[in-house]
Amino acid sequence: MLEVTNLMVFYENMLAINNVTLTAKKGSIVGVFGSNSAGKSTLMYSISGIILDIKKKEAMKGGERITVFGKVIFDSKDITNLLPHERAKMGIVLCPERRRIFPESSVLENLKIGAYLDKRNEKKNLEYVLNIFPRLKDHLNRQGGFLSGGEQQMLAIGRALMASPSVLLLDEPLLGLSPYYQKIVVDSIKDIKATKNITVIVAEQYARPIIPVIDYGYIIENGSSVLEGTSESLLNNPDVKSAYFGV
Amino acid sequence: MQIFIYGLINSISLSLVALGFTLVYSISRIPNFAHGALYVATGYFAWILMNLFHFNYFISAILSVFLSCFIGAMIYRLVLIKIRGMEISEVIATYAIGLAIIEGLRWGGLRGATYTLPVIVPGSIEIFGVIVDYQRLFAVFVGLVIFLFFYIFIKFTKTGLALKGIAQDERAAMMLGIDSDKMAIVSFILGSAIAGISALIIFPLGNIVVEAGYNVLVFSIAVSIIGGLGSWLGAVIASFIIGYAQILTEVFLSTHYQMVIALLAIIITLLIRPSGLFGKQKELEERV
Ligand SMILES: Nc1ncnc2c1ncn2[C@@H]1O[C@H](COP(=O)(O)OP(=O)(O)O)[C@@H](O)[C@H]1O
Ligand SMILES: [Mg+2]
Repeated sequence: MLEVTNLMVFYENMLAINNVTLTAKKGSIVGVFGSNSAGKSTLMYSISGIILDIKKKEAMKGGERITVFGKVIFDSKDITNLLPHERAKMGIVLCPERRRIFPESSVLENLKIGAYLDKRNEKKNLEYVLNIFPRLKDHLNRQGGFLSGGEQQMLAIGRALMASPSVLLLDEPLLGLSPYYQKIVVDSIKDIKATKNITVIVAEQYARPIIPVIDYGYIIENGSSVLEGTSESLLNNPDVKSAYFGV
Repeated sequence: MQIFIYGLINSISLSLVALGFTLVYSISRIPNFAHGALYVATGYFAWILMNLFHFNYFISAILSVFLSCFIGAMIYRLVLIKIRGMEISEVIATYAIGLAIIEGLRWGGLRGATYTLPVIVPGSIEIFGVIVDYQRLFAVFVGLVIFLFFYIFIKFTKTGLALKGIAQDERAAMMLGIDSDKMAIVSFILGSAIAGISALIIFPLGNIVVEAGYNVLVFSIAVSIIGGLGSWLGAVIASFIIGYAQILTEVFLSTHYQMVIALLAIIITLLIRPSGLFGKQKELEERV
């Protein structure tokens, strides 16, 4: 189980995350919805530890001061101060916004780099990734930078899966994707939960395609969690309908 | 013909030396200004081990390269880890450490033309009417072996792939569990090993002199900047440009101008194409 309790993140004096508490049960899919600049990525960075790297680099450059309050707890261990690679080792792997594929490496090499933490199951994981994303099979030797947006997103999720995560964080996996690829990605999220029992936390601006597959969801506005509930309760909430489905 | 062959040999040894610098930069984004110092230090260690401790050549060579790797790793682990990301401090710190090593060696007695390392393969051969000593061919051979080793290492080993990930997108690599500091240390060890090995095969062609440290540094920087910082292919191509330019200067002007040419090449590159021949990533960033 992953828990975020009373998280606050400041970029200098700007409060990007305001007292957010979130729980993701083992093997569930949790959605985090909010418009642009609501704080979704900041939340994902706080769970994966990347925020500490951003903070350190800013401090080194003499840039903005970033402060984090609150706790991130994973399987009853406080991981708030662990570095991103340490959290990844524990099983928390982030598939970041805008995918961040290794552009000069081939598709296969991207996946192999993803297997850094789990060489033992590299073959098995590769098989699984190519099974849920068969299109990648045709492009194994293509350079990552030359793939289309949809293909890059499949590769980014596949690369994260190669690390055998127990919690997979997806930051805006549908961003800029055609409905065809959106469906592939949403289906893959279902499959990841069903066959691998991986906890998935997915942050999205466009809730409509994701809401049906989540077990529980949070809506954030300006850094605060304003509403939470199961898939049905969010679907039936009139405020959510008008704000996030454009109904 | 002479220019062609000597240019080729010179370019390959140069790319070997510059590979170490480029490797460290592409992974840690730290320009290691102590690179040349490690080069001289390894040559001098080997000399000390052979002449004062009477070890045989191979043991001395291996020990001195290990020592170079150890110093490289310590430079990162003790100093750079604390200031990484502060670009000016990185340059000042590595340059200061390099100066301290080089001037320390000079103060410790490394002066004059008395220090030489033995030639590993004596004799010479005539290639297309040009006399080439075996040691130069050996340098080329070792250079090619090291390139091959790196190609295989980077492409097929877990650590090699992790280095490639870090070089392309440090943060994305972290998300996959790769420890950036650990990889930076690996890069310093590899870079120092390359500096050390090149010293052991290039010094026997002349004397061990501290000035070589400055030369190696300037030429490594020239090659990296012309090739595009952090680009391996760019570094190899730039080595050929500088390598031939060096030989041509030697033939038509005088050896003294080699450094001037290298520095001019840096300035011209920075003026015309600041990101270098193959600095495409950086160029993209500049545009965005
Ligand atoms: N590195 C940063 N420095 C300063 N402000 C930032 C930084 N990153 C994000 N922000 C600000 O924090 C808020 C939340 O951003 P973000 O977490 O990226 O939101 P989202 O992912 O939901 O679009 C925004 O107002 C954004 O401008
Ligand atoms: Mg975002």
